[in-house]
Amino acid sequence: MKFDVIIIGGGLSGLTAGIALAEAGKDVALVSAGQSTLHFGGGSLDLLGYDEQGNEVKNPLDAISNLNGNHPYKKIEDVSRLAGVAKKVLERAGIATAGEANHNHWRVSPIGALLPTWLSLEGMATVEDAGTMPWKRVALVNVVNFLDFPTKFLAAGLRNRGVEVDVKAFTLPELEQLRKSPTEMRSTNIAKVIETNNLIAKIANEVNDIAGGYDMVLLPAVLGIGSSETSRHLLKAIKVPANYVATLPPSVPGVRMQTLLRKRFTALGGTFFTGDQVIEGNFEGDTLKGVKTAKLDGTTLEADNFVLATGSFMSRGLVADYNHVYEPALGVDVEDLGLDRNTWSKIDVTESQPYMEMGVKTDSCLRCQRAGNTIANLYAAGSILGGHNSIKRLDSAGVDMLTALQAVNNILK
Amino acid sequence: MATETQTQNVSVNNFEQCLKCSICTVYCPVSAVTPLYPGPKQAGPDGERYRLKDKVFFDESLKMCLNCKRCEVACPNDVHIGDIIQAARIKYSTHKPSLRDMMLANTDLVGTMASPFAPIANPVLKLKPMKAVLHSVMGIDKHRTFPDYSNRKFESWFKKEAAPNQDQYSKHVSYFHGCYVNYNYPQLGKDMVKVMNAVGYGVHLLEKEKCCGVALIANGMSKQAKRQGEVNMSSMRKAIVEGHVVLTSSSTCTFTMRDEYDHLLGIDNHDVRDSISLATRFLFQLIEKGEIKLEFRKDFHKRVAYHSACHMERMGWVPYSTRLLRMIPGLEFVMLESQCCGISGTYGFKKENYERSQAIGKGLFDQINDVAPDCVATDCETCKWQIEMSTGVPVMNPISIIAEALDVEATIISNKK
Ligand SMILES: Cc1cc2nc3c(=O)[nH]c(=O)nc-3n(C[C@H](O)[C@H](O)[C@H](O)COP(=O)(O)OP(=O)(O)OC[C@H]3O[C@@H](n4cnc5c(N)ncnc54)[C@H](O)[C@@H]3O)c2cc1C
Ligand code: SF4
Ligand code: SF4
Repeated sequence: MKFDVIIIGGGLSGLTAGIALAEAGKDVALVSAGQSTLHFGGGSLDLLGYDEQGNEVKNPLDAISNLNGNHPYKKIEDVSRLAGVAKKVLERAGIATAGEANHNHWRVSPIGALLPTWLSLEGMATVEDAGTMPWKRVALVNVVNFLDFPTKFLAAGLRNRGVEVDVKAFTLPELEQLRKSPTEMRSTNIAKVIETNNLIAKIANEVNDIAGGYDMVLLPAVLGIGSSETSRHLLKAIKVPANYVATLPPSVPGVRMQTLLRKRFTALGGTFFTGDQVIEGNFEGDTLKGVKTAKLDGTTLEADNFVLATGSFMSRGLVADYNHVYEPALGVDVEDLGLDRNTWSKIDVTESQPYMEMGVKTDSCLRCQRAGNTIANLYAAGSILGGHNSIKRLDSAGVDMLTALQAVNNILK
Repeated sequence: MATETQTQNVSVNNFEQCLKCSICTVYCPVSAVTPLYPGPKQAGPDGERYRLKDKVFFDESLKMCLNCKRCEVACPNDVHIGDIIQAARIKYSTHKPSLRDMMLANTDLVGTMASPFAPIANPVLKLKPMKAVLHSVMGIDKHRTFPDYSNRKFESWFKKEAAPNQDQYSKHVSYFHGCYVNYNYPQLGKDMVKVMNAVGYGVHLLEKEKCCGVALIANGMSKQAKRQGEVNMSSMRKAIVEGHVVLTSSSTCTFTMRDEYDHLLGIDNHDVRDSISLATRFLFQLIEKGEIKLEFRKDFHKRVAYHSACHMERMGWVPYSTRLLRMIPGLEFVMLESQCCGISGTYGFKKENYERSQAIGKGLFDQINDVAPDCVATDCETCKWQIEMSTGVPVMNPISIIAEALDVEATIISNKK
């Protein structure tokens, strides 16, 4: 099967690249082995939260210019412009966000930390400046027996910042039903029950009974898998200011992003190879001619250009064995830091882990290499790129989207 | 040594690869509508750990699993969740299939009995009193109408009308038509012959064809499924020796014979598997290689919404059908968001499952009503019953759409060159 461009990997970076190329009129295929880490995403997108000294970043654009030379952002021609394009890509997919690249705001993490971020989905709990909390009295309102919303951590995190917090909970007969299978009382199933049974008005009543006297109600993000419509309705029906905090995985705002981005890609005519895995590349000299997948035996997927966006270790975009780290789909070169295995990780999990900086080698145009030779038509994007520690820098969504858009620009040039 | 240990540490159905990420639970159509089902993660890899220790941990609620494999498609770690669940049912379930289950599962036996009486059986099966009896005595839901039985089986039509002309072609394929084409909808089989003949291929039936057995597996009759599977494999071996590819027009039969025979029933199909293909895939591949060409009528216009049947998605073959359909100039193509229709073969026919089945499909029906296409295209026959019953929109197999859009004369000429 022949396409203009083939994207390998269907996470945030693969979908961003696929959509941008399809918007530019290209015939694009996307192959993805299973669902992506967007399912753990918290409803905010980070550009750069902490600089290399570990200080909170207020203006990501300024701080990005001071990053070290290996950081993937160094391969982006115009960070400010592409950040604007990224926001528009999301918007056209039906994902409205607030935030600017030159000005971080703070999101509330599922375990109560306040973290600097770039874009937040509408309705998510955010503050302009974590130094001056705008809330005096917060009600944390959970669904009875929902375990993926760790209210104790959340309350402790907010109290540490001088906010008075009360933990409350409500339930409805329809939600009680879910308790019959405790393992399935998860955010996405709660969302499905609320939406199929039209429970918004009832929930609003329950919350309004609790909300008197608080200047902010924080709810678990358990609404709106397919669109933000229901989650918006609920916030409107609550009498005091109310927002959502993402839950532990699976995260409804993350699943919503995945769903809407994928929908946008197919609506633009993109072809999605769902649940299939690229297992081999067919290279001729310095070009990639086609890829083979696990399920399309007998068919090679061919294209003029390719984007490798298979993610990091968690998505098996990178694999570690006892001796080395490798890229399993196409066998492109990996920057494994030349380290002995014993030094890949540090015993204290909170320390900066060296393996986090490993990733595929690319030239200044984000093109991959094989046995030291640059492949002219194979680009890498997203968390498969090394050179930074996304947990310490809080920069993963920015790296995903901006490297994807830069790879697209390089392809379209 | 360490490397060896690591690479050999692969368990049955990849169950040890489970990272507990919970992504599969987002996509299970059953746990989305009922809390009584433990969900793919718990029913699959989590529960398996316990069952391996003691079979008392087996839970009959696993029979609620549709075997749709949507969890497997979603799993980023290639855990064969659906296989784990079905294998556990085969291994541990003590539930005996009822008469109703046997009747629903034996699609070819019931078809053989009903076909000669089709003019009687069809209206009778639609009568209210009959439906009431089926509902209360048999447990077949009263809302369901059995798909019509055709009074002339596809095989009879084929032998009389088509078989004599097939040897004139220089290239040949075998056709596994399946129960549905044989008893309920011979038109699809006729369309298949029309398209294949137009591109220069003679069509042949297998020496012996049995139901692929998907309904038997679902209803706990895996021994019978295995016997039937062995018959199919041995017929197919003979066809393959003659150089034929074995084509099907049903995604579920294809998936069952290629993957479930080996994974669930322990049938050795390794020498046959690669020669079983779906007709849309076969055509697409030949067109791409430049070996055949399809010419379409200038006056064909249709707005078609494609529904990805669960097993089609699991095989990863959806793009073969959609890219083939998109070659038709007069076809306006809309891709539906992939969702289960809820019927899952015989599952939705059972009265205990009816409501759940309709609740599962609701999202898909709403989408179809919004798109309002001239027809829905899908590669699975049971999706056709479900979608037609629930939306009133006609459903066609891509092969039938091709047959309708095809300029037969022009195609024959193009392929003679
Ligand atoms: C637990 C967790 C929580 C997070 N929370 C946040 C957050 O709150 N905010 C934030 O901004 N970021 C967050 N992140 C980070 C962010 O989600 C990821 O960094 C980012 O989404 C990575 O995107 P990607 O497209 O590069 O890769 P991925 O999302 O990893 O996608 C890669 C895809 O490629 C597929 N694939 C792999 N190999 C192949 C192959 N051979 N062939 C075909 N397909 C293949 C995979 O199955 C997967 O679907 C979190 C990450 C994790 C793990
Ligand atoms: S999606 Fe796969 S890895 Fe994740 S919990 Fe389910 S089975 Fe385990
Ligand atoms: S096969 Fe389908 S019904 Fe069964 S657990 Fe997986 S997703 Fe759920």
